[in-house]
Amino acid sequence: MDIKPHDDHIYIEALLKNDSKVLSTLYAKFSPKIVGYIKNNSGDEDAAQDIIQETLVTIYHQAKEKKFILTCPFDAYFFLLCKRRWLNELKKRGNNRVTIIDDITSISEEQEQQVEETEIFEQQHQLFELKFKELGEKCQELLKATFKIKSMEEVADFLGVTYGYARKKKSQCMGKLTQLVKNSNEFNQLKAY
Amino acid sequence: MDEAKYILFDKYLNNELTSVELKSFEDQLVSDADFKHEFEIYKALETSLAAKFENEQEEIELRKTLQSIGNQHIKAPKKETKVIPLFNYKNLLVAASIAVLIGLFIFNNGNPVYGDFANHNALEIVVRSENNQAVVAAEEAFNSKKYEEALQQLTILSDEYSEDVEIELYKGICNLELNNYTEANQIFTEISNGKSSFSTTATWYKALMYLKQEKMENCKKVLQTIPESAEEYTQAQKLLKKL
Repeated sequence: MDIKPHDDHIYIEALLKNDSKVLSTLYAKFSPKIVGYIKNNSGDEDAAQDIIQETLVTIYHQAKEKKFILTCPFDAYFFLLCKRRWLNELKKRGNNRVTIIDDITSISEEQEQQVEETEIFEQQHQLFELKFKELGEKCQELLKATFKIKSMEEVADFLGVTYGYARKKKSQCMGKLTQLVKNSNEFNQLKAY
Repeated sequence: MDEAKYILFDKYLNNELTSVELKSFEDQLVSDADFKHEFEIYKALETSLAAKFENEQEEIELRKTLQSIGNQHIKAPKKETKVIPLFNYKNLLVAASIAVLIGLFIFNNGNPVYGDFANHNALEIVVRSENNQAVVAAEEAFNSKKYEEALQQLTILSDEYSEDVEIELYKGICNLELNNYTEANQIFTEISNGKSSFSTTATWYKALMYLKQEKMENCKKVLQTIPESAEEYTQAQKLLKKL
């Protein structure tokens, strides 16, 4: 697939490279609008900082794992993500009485789609993490070792078991996890990504 | 659970199937929708978990950068930061800190408040514990300001590492954030009287504890014991001036 990145893809690159100079520009350019929005809607600076940071970390993961490429301007994409995250946060707090002051940002279909991709990515990520924690301790430990160490021989050594046993256990634990995910309602609601 | 199926998935993803097995695997992917569905989940999980654990450290680093940039841009008064040329990071840093100072002068002519001074360093536990889960959980909880949870995890760790002053200190900070003043006081006093490298940090936190309780006289007294050589000296002087 040949997707042409938007010029603003530099911000995604900066997240991947932990480039504080460009990230600083990102905050200077895009955070005031988000802070303003959150402060107008029952939040404060601390909340805004959290929302912005979590959104950026999500984008980082998506870029790292899925090679996410930004094809639209960062501004509206980022603002919409932060805004929706904040609305979710308010819902979680059971803050139903707040009136949401809506802004009139018109956004293109392409932007909408990119926002949605990021959101689905995050929901999937969270679901996997949640289900991972439902596994038994032994399985969690083994899988963690598997993904961190990579060589199954070393994993077996590390856990003091034979290679064959480690392999078998890994498939078993992954199988259990697959079942947990498959049988969850959330997964069936997620669109494939 | 169909174990053989998952062993097959694992082998497929590791390119370990013989050509005959491969052929039959791929045939089944086409003909058996359920098989395909499960394989897709298995594969997605594999990718997602691998990325999660591989990028764990990088994520912590990124969070640190974002936290400090966020502190400059969001917590500092907006007006001052806006006029600064965006491309010059060094100037930006200097200007941001000036902005903070000006901000403190203008807005805090009244009594100083705890929130202005309580900037906790991110928790990064150095000990390599058997209990890595608690280490990660404690760091995550603390750095996202979930102090109750952080305190729980740190308590687990401190049972294991009763000698680790840093863990104790952060337990104290959690207690302070949660307004458990008695516990916080006990911890800060003990570290502050000790000889570890955290002793003046603990003294500073003890002062913050009094500030939070608005016991200004006690706060002053404690601040005056922070020596000039200490890292916390400048902050301490700044706070003293306002008291």
